[in-house]
Amino acid sequence: MKRFDRAAVWFVLPSLFLVALFSIYPICDSARLSFYRMILMLPWLGEKFVGLENYGDLAGDPVVLASLGVTLLFVAVSAALEVSIGAGMALLLNESFRGRGLVRAAVLVPWAIPTVVSSQMWRYIFNDRYGLFNFLLFGRDASRYLAPLAEPGLARAAIVFADVWKTSSFAALIILAGLQTIPDELYEAAEVDGASAWQKLRRITLPLLKPALLLALLFRTIDAFKVFDLVFVMTQGGPADSTNVLQFYGYKKIFAEGMIGYGSAISVGVFFISLALALLYIKLIGASVLESGAAR
Amino acid sequence: MKPWPALLLLPLLFSPVHAADIRFVTWRDTQGFLDRLIAEFEAQNPGLKIVRDVGPHSSTEFHDLLAQKFRNRDRGMDVFFMDVIWPAEFAAAGWALPLDRFFARDAQKPFLPAAIRANTYAGAIYGVPLFVDAGLLYYRKDLLRKYKFSPPHTWPELLEQAKTIVAGEKDAGLTGFSGQFKQYEGLVCDMMEYILSNNGALWDEARLSGALRSAAAEEAVRFVRDRIIGEISHRGVLAYQEPESLALFSEGRAVFHRNWPYAWAEANDARKSKIAGRVGMTPLPAFPGGASAAALGGWQLGISRYSRQPDLAWRFVEFMTRAETQKRIALWTGRGMAREAVYRDAEVLEQYPQFRTQLEISTRAAPRPPTPVYVPLSNIMQRYFSAAISARDSDIDRLARHADREMDRVLDLLRPRAAR
Amino acid sequence: MKKFLLPLGVAAVVVYSLLPFLWFVLASWKSPAQLTAIPPVVVPEFHWGFYRSAIVNYGLLGYIKNSAIVAGATTVVSIAIGALAAYALTRFHAVWLRWYLLVLLCVSMFPQIAVAGPVWRILNALGWLNRYPGIIVAYISFSLPLAIWILSTFFKELPYEIEEAALVDGCTRTQVLRLIVLPLAAPGIFTAAILVFIYAWNEFFFALIILTSPPLQTLPVGIALFPGEYTIPWGELAAASTIATLPLIALTLLFQQRIVRGLSAGAAKG
Repeated sequence: MKRFDRAAVWFVLPSLFLVALFSIYPICDSARLSFYRMILMLPWLGEKFVGLENYGDLAGDPVVLASLGVTLLFVAVSAALEVSIGAGMALLLNESFRGRGLVRAAVLVPWAIPTVVSSQMWRYIFNDRYGLFNFLLFGRDASRYLAPLAEPGLARAAIVFADVWKTSSFAALIILAGLQTIPDELYEAAEVDGASAWQKLRRITLPLLKPALLLALLFRTIDAFKVFDLVFVMTQGGPADSTNVLQFYGYKKIFAEGMIGYGSAISVGVFFISLALALLYIKLIGASVLESGAAR
Repeated sequence: MKPWPALLLLPLLFSPVHAADIRFVTWRDTQGFLDRLIAEFEAQNPGLKIVRDVGPHSSTEFHDLLAQKFRNRDRGMDVFFMDVIWPAEFAAAGWALPLDRFFARDAQKPFLPAAIRANTYAGAIYGVPLFVDAGLLYYRKDLLRKYKFSPPHTWPELLEQAKTIVAGEKDAGLTGFSGQFKQYEGLVCDMMEYILSNNGALWDEARLSGALRSAAAEEAVRFVRDRIIGEISHRGVLAYQEPESLALFSEGRAVFHRNWPYAWAEANDARKSKIAGRVGMTPLPAFPGGASAAALGGWQLGISRYSRQPDLAWRFVEFMTRAETQKRIALWTGRGMAREAVYRDAEVLEQYPQFRTQLEISTRAAPRPPTPVYVPLSNIMQRYFSAAISARDSDIDRLARHADREMDRVLDLLRPRAAR
Repeated sequence: MKKFLLPLGVAAVVVYSLLPFLWFVLASWKSPAQLTAIPPVVVPEFHWGFYRSAIVNYGLLGYIKNSAIVAGATTVVSIAIGALAAYALTRFHAVWLRWYLLVLLCVSMFPQIAVAGPVWRILNALGWLNRYPGIIVAYISFSLPLAIWILSTFFKELPYEIEEAALVDGCTRTQVLRLIVLPLAAPGIFTAAILVFIYAWNEFFFALIILTSPPLQTLPVGIALFPGEYTIPWGELAAASTIATLPLIALTLLFQQRIVRGLSAGAAKG
């Protein structure tokens, strides 16, 4: 064992080095900045160490609190929808039928489209005059057309829909790969015993799919926290801040307003919330996802 | 000591550094003039090469790119484009070089005064204006003539005309007005035009405090919510930026349309517009007792303080902004330029007769007040305006009070240290 | 019942996945007037001008080339490095694995925008701004968490007995990795590869700030440069998206076959 120990270190080192340099160091630097007051366009105020003042301001900032609400709602709804729709698609794609390869490729199209394109595409589709959304709902009767991006509630739904459309294929792919590692013999044995399709699903598929489902849910939740491109192109956080997710607010603070300290504090905040959620998942649904194979 | 880290420095040996390269941060050349001008400049200045760093045209994204480079003290940047709302910010942050030694008072005279004002901060000038935009009112000439209206001078007049025409035309698809009311910078431009034309202000520059709670400002906002959006526009305008709002007008679905000068050519292009040739252009209306206010837009050229060759950089800036160049750009593209003479030039007027009206409007255009903290203030205003106009029963007074409080906090940062 | 549900389900999935995109593809063939027609027009005029414009005026092919290079290199290296790490961790050191996976997860949770500044400074110091190695190295680092997580999940599922047997028979670790583990874990590897490739293909924010020189810009940046100051060229955007998505569709068709083949190898083990 000992000889492999050293070899194991070499196996892990490249990834560790890259992650340390490009992720851990920048994150620490960013976290450090959250303890300073730094406003780029007012350099005469200097870079003052202010301890937890930025975090105090965060807690009292009504925009942040509203933004947190929007973000959590978005994350909960999107992640749930993405994993369920993804699971549905995966189950379907696991069956054999002619043209399955093509259907799989079709399912990946939403994920494959760059977000810069899909955000503009959705802006085009949700337009209140010449958009597909209204056309599908109301046909040629333009007088009944809705303006989804102009109403706070509908705007949120539009962003959720756009995000779910794009990423349910990601979930589907992970769950599909998980489905395919379930040995066929289990199903065959169950059929011999006279199990129905529903029973097979409940007793065999879902339990063995747990790791893949959890992985998909975990990644989708974390990614949902980071949603940015869609908001940037479709709504810019509006109308009336109804789609102002935390990541977008943080971006505005850092890049647009040059309030580096405060913006970094928001980023750190987003990080801790995602972390809390991730730890919650792992605790609730199974720490087994973090175990190594040899331990079993 | 392991030699590996040194290997990481190898690439440095291979990066070519050309002493006579001028690095220019700009957008893609969608209209063909940049490529031509740069080729000419290089021909006239042998040994000098313009190397372009290209960013998106969208103002916010371009700002991100610039902010990123400046914040990290990128020395590989010489000349850059600036939106009209950034010079004060870039000046205060120490990013833009003061240009007084190149661009003195006398040299500034031929330029539109509002544009010069927008580029001035603390008594020094930080950018040379190239393009100038001003908000104006487009209208359907044919419809107004049919109902024997002349272009409205006041907002209530516009309201009445729009209602009469829409009722008279009995066309379910026609609305009165199309503008930009999405929560973005353009919203501030649109709302500013209402507020200023009612003798209000966005904030009190002298006292450094918010002014959204003044009666004039609140009245203007209420008018927009209840009349412009409530009575003569689709709800959809709350999600419109320039492209969507223009599309509505070009499809013949709106009687009046607020937009920048670029829309003239688009609305009269028979390939894209159903109303080509039936479009009129006039200064925006005002409230009774006020004067027409047009938001000032446009782009200027600045020189980076971190540039290693400001004199060479100036040579390029001067080339791009001199009289002949500006006239040629106008002829090629029809864009509003910063030098007044361009609008009076016979050749230009022959091709673009609308420049006469455009000059009248641009001369009186009002810049958004130049301040280093414009962007935070704008974000507060965008939030306020969007909240005020998108809910039919919004408590405008409470929202305005809240917004003013936030603006005060930001404006306080500008007070001299002794006073705080 | 199943016979009826299956085709219905498949049709629903295909429509759900493709309809918005197809609408956009149709837009690429419309005439300029049809693009914003109210109410919308369904049948386009089959007008190829937007494709010509996207390629000639907007330099679309150059962007695709750059994206292919960047995404391809990222995928190959990221999977290689990730597979090594995932293998080592899942075979030994339960404690290490848990912590490393947690660290990777945490790292991927941190908002990108805050990380942009330091990353830019590092690449600037290395002289790697506006060069392929710079953006590739950054992408590899950002995609490693995803790659290692997926690969670990799959490697874990593989029974260790086969490898033990092979080791006892005298194979080296690398031989075991190459000849036994990789083929069995093929579904996971190709899954991770597709996801990393698509991530690198679509990444926008870092590409925007690291690649500002036009000959190097990748597709998402190129497309973000399409809009003018107040105009959105819907036609060219639609044409560009169609062209840009085709290679990805081709790749996924190819890859998904590999997953199936990997599956048959895996089933044989049972």
